[in-house]
Amino acid sequence: MAAVATAVKPRKSGRSFAPKYPKWLTLPSLLYYSIFFLGPMAILAVFSVSIQSGFGSVEYTFSTSQFAQVNDSLYITVFERTLLMAATGSLLTIAVGYPLAYWMARYLSTYKMLALLVIIVPFWTSFLIRTYALKIILDSHGYLAQDLGINILYTKYAVGIGLVYNYLPLFILPVFASLERMDWTLIEAATDLGAKPFTAFKDITLRLTMPGVVTGGLLVFIPMCGEYIIPNILGGGKFEFVGNIIGDTFGDAQNWPFGSALSISLMAALSVFVVIYIMFATREEQFGA
Amino acid sequence: MKDDRNEHLNILAPRSMRPKFDYLHREVQDLAGMRVNRRAALGIGGLALLAAACGGSTNAGGGGGGAASQPADALKGKPLEDQLVIYNWSEYDDPSTYKKFEELPAESAAGLKTHETYYSSNDELLAKLHAGGTGYDIVVPSQNAVGELIQEGGLMKLDFNLIPNIKNLDPKFRKASFDPTGEFHVIKDFGITMFFYQNTVVKPSTEPKTMKDFYNLLNANVSKGRTNVLDGAEEVVPLAAMALGYSANTDDQAELDDTQKFLLSIRKGVTTISSFGYINDASAGKIILSQGWNGDVRRILKARKKEGDITAVLPTEKSEVWADSWCVPATAPHPVAAHAWINWLLEPTTAVTEMEYHSYPIPIPAALDQMPAETKNDPIFNVPSTYTDNYEYILNPNPQLVNARTKIYQQFKAA
Repeated sequence: MAAVATAVKPRKSGRSFAPKYPKWLTLPSLLYYSIFFLGPMAILAVFSVSIQSGFGSVEYTFSTSQFAQVNDSLYITVFERTLLMAATGSLLTIAVGYPLAYWMARYLSTYKMLALLVIIVPFWTSFLIRTYALKIILDSHGYLAQDLGINILYTKYAVGIGLVYNYLPLFILPVFASLERMDWTLIEAATDLGAKPFTAFKDITLRLTMPGVVTGGLLVFIPMCGEYIIPNILGGGKFEFVGNIIGDTFGDAQNWPFGSALSISLMAALSVFVVIYIMFATREEQFGA
Repeated sequence: MKDDRNEHLNILAPRSMRPKFDYLHREVQDLAGMRVNRRAALGIGGLALLAAACGGSTNAGGGGGGAASQPADALKGKPLEDQLVIYNWSEYDDPSTYKKFEELPAESAAGLKTHETYYSSNDELLAKLHAGGTGYDIVVPSQNAVGELIQEGGLMKLDFNLIPNIKNLDPKFRKASFDPTGEFHVIKDFGITMFFYQNTVVKPSTEPKTMKDFYNLLNANVSKGRTNVLDGAEEVVPLAAMALGYSANTDDQAELDDTQKFLLSIRKGVTTISSFGYINDASAGKIILSQGWNGDVRRILKARKKEGDITAVLPTEKSEVWADSWCVPATAPHPVAAHAWINWLLEPTTAVTEMEYHSYPIPIPAALDQMPAETKNDPIFNVPSTYTDNYEYILNPNPQLVNARTKIYQQFKAA
C-alpha cells in the first residue's frame, strides 16, 4: 500500500530520467485482476440493479429498487453497528499494536526478527481455529469466567476481542516497517535541544510514522467491516455484521439482487475511508515525509 | 473421492490438555459440516454458495425445463447406464451401501460405478442447480427445496415401474405437502424439531409440553446459563409461528407481524442462535435450554447419560417435521441408474444398514421391525404419529414469503 504514496509523477519537461520497464510485465497481474476481481464485481453490480424473479433467479433490468430497500432502519442499524465495531476494533488494535511495534523497533536488536516471527507465527494457523481457540478461553466454564468473573462470550465484547486478536499482526507489520526506517538520531537531536521525551515523540516519531499507522489502521479496518466468522462464532449468531446480513440474503432468502445491493452499499461506505486515506497519503508525500 | 478426513495431527502438549484439543477438534469438524451434524448449514456452505452464485450468473434461472410434461414411462426399455452421479450431504449414507449397489447382478454386469460429491446446505444445492449445474443423477433436497425444485420444473417425474420396492415404503409417506402427487420424490429419512433442558438448572413450575412453553422458559432462565434457538430464517420464523398456533407457512401479514412481535419479546432470553456445535456444547453441559433436531437430541441424551440431567421434550401441538428425499434432476444424464439406486435404498436390508449409520428413521416398516428394540421403541427416534400428526413441513411457497421471513429473522438477530 505504501507504494501508492510514492507513485512517479509525470514531469513537465519532455525528458524523463525515470527508468523504463517493459509494459508486458504488468500483464499477468492485470489479467488476474480483471478476471478474478473486476469480473465478479461487474456481476455483482449487474445483479444489484436487477430484480429477483422466482427463487434464486435474476431478471436483468435496470432498477434502483434494491438500493431503496437498503434504506431501512434494520439495515442502517446493522451498517452503523458494523462501522462502529470496526472503528473501535481498529483503534484498540492501534492502542495495542503501536507500543509493541515501537518497542520492537527501538529497543530490540538481536531478537528483533525473533519477535517479528513470534507475531507472524499465529498467522500460519487457520483463522477459524484461532477464533475457536478464543472461544475456549472466553467460555463461561473457562478460567477467565470462573476465576476472574469475566463472562463475555456471546456478547459484543467477545466480538471486539476477536477482532483485535485476529487482525493485530496485520497492523503491527506496516507500523513496524515505518518505525524501522525511523532515524533515531532525530530524537537525540531533539532531546539535546531541550525537547521533553513526549514532545519529541509527538512531533517527530508520531508524525514520521503516521503514514504507517494510517495504512495499518485501514488495513485492519476494512476487513473488520467485512467480518463474518467472528461475529458468528463469538457473538453467538445474534450480534450481526453487514457480512452476516449479506450471507442471509444470499443464502436463506436466495435473493441475489438484494444481497448484491447490500454488498455494493457496504463497498460504497468503505470507499469513503479509502478516499480519506488517499488524500492523506498524497498530502504526506507533498511534505516529503 | 480422496478421503483426507482421517489425517492425524501430532501435537506436543501436556496430557491434561487432551480434552481441550478434543473439544477443539470436534468444533472444527462441526464447522466444516462433517458428520456430527448433517444439517449444519453455515460458513463453508455459504462460501461455496457464493462461488456458485458468481460462476453461473449467465445461466441463473435456466434450471427450468419441460420435465412436468414428460410421460411417466419415458424410461421404459432403456438400458442401465454405467455411471451414477450423486450429489449429497456429506457422510449421509453407509459406504457399504454404495459398494453393495455396484455389486448387484444387473449393476455389475453394466459395470456401473457411483460418484459422489457433497454439499452442506440446501441453499448450496439450489444455488448449484439454479446456476445451471447439470450432470447429477441423484440429489437429496430437504422438503422445502423439493417443493421449490418441483415448482421450477427442475425435477424428473419418477417412473415407479423401475422402483418396484416402493411397495416397502409406508404408504403414508408416498405423498407430502411439498409433493402432493408423490411423483417427484422418495423419502430418504425424516426427523422433527423438539427441545431439551438441563433439569438441574431449569426448573419449570409446570412441565413444559409445547414449543410455546419452550419459548416462555427463555426469558426467565437466560441468566442461569446459555440458551439456544436453532438458526436460519426457515427455522426461526416458522417455528415461532407454529408456537403461536399459526401455519408454518403462513403468509398472512397480520400473523407474520404477530410472529415478529413474539420473537422480539423473547429475544432477550436467547444467548445464541445456532444450529451447529450445539450437540457438543450441550453434551459438555454448557447449554441449559435449547431447541434441537431429534437425532441430535438423542446423541446429547446419550452423552449426558451418566449425569442424567437432560430432559428432552417432544412437543405436543405444532412443531416441525422435516424430510430429506431422493430426487432425480430433470437434466440427469443417467436416469435409469438413478431409479435403480432409489430402488436399492428401498430394500429393507439396505434401510437397516442406513438407519444404523445415520440414526434417522426411514419409514419402511419391514426395516424398522429389524432395528434393535431400544432404537425402534425410542419415541425420539421413531417419533409416534400421535405427535407428528400435529407437525408441519416448513416449505418455501414463494419468494415473497421467503424474503419476508428472512427480514423477520434478521430483525430478530439484530435486535
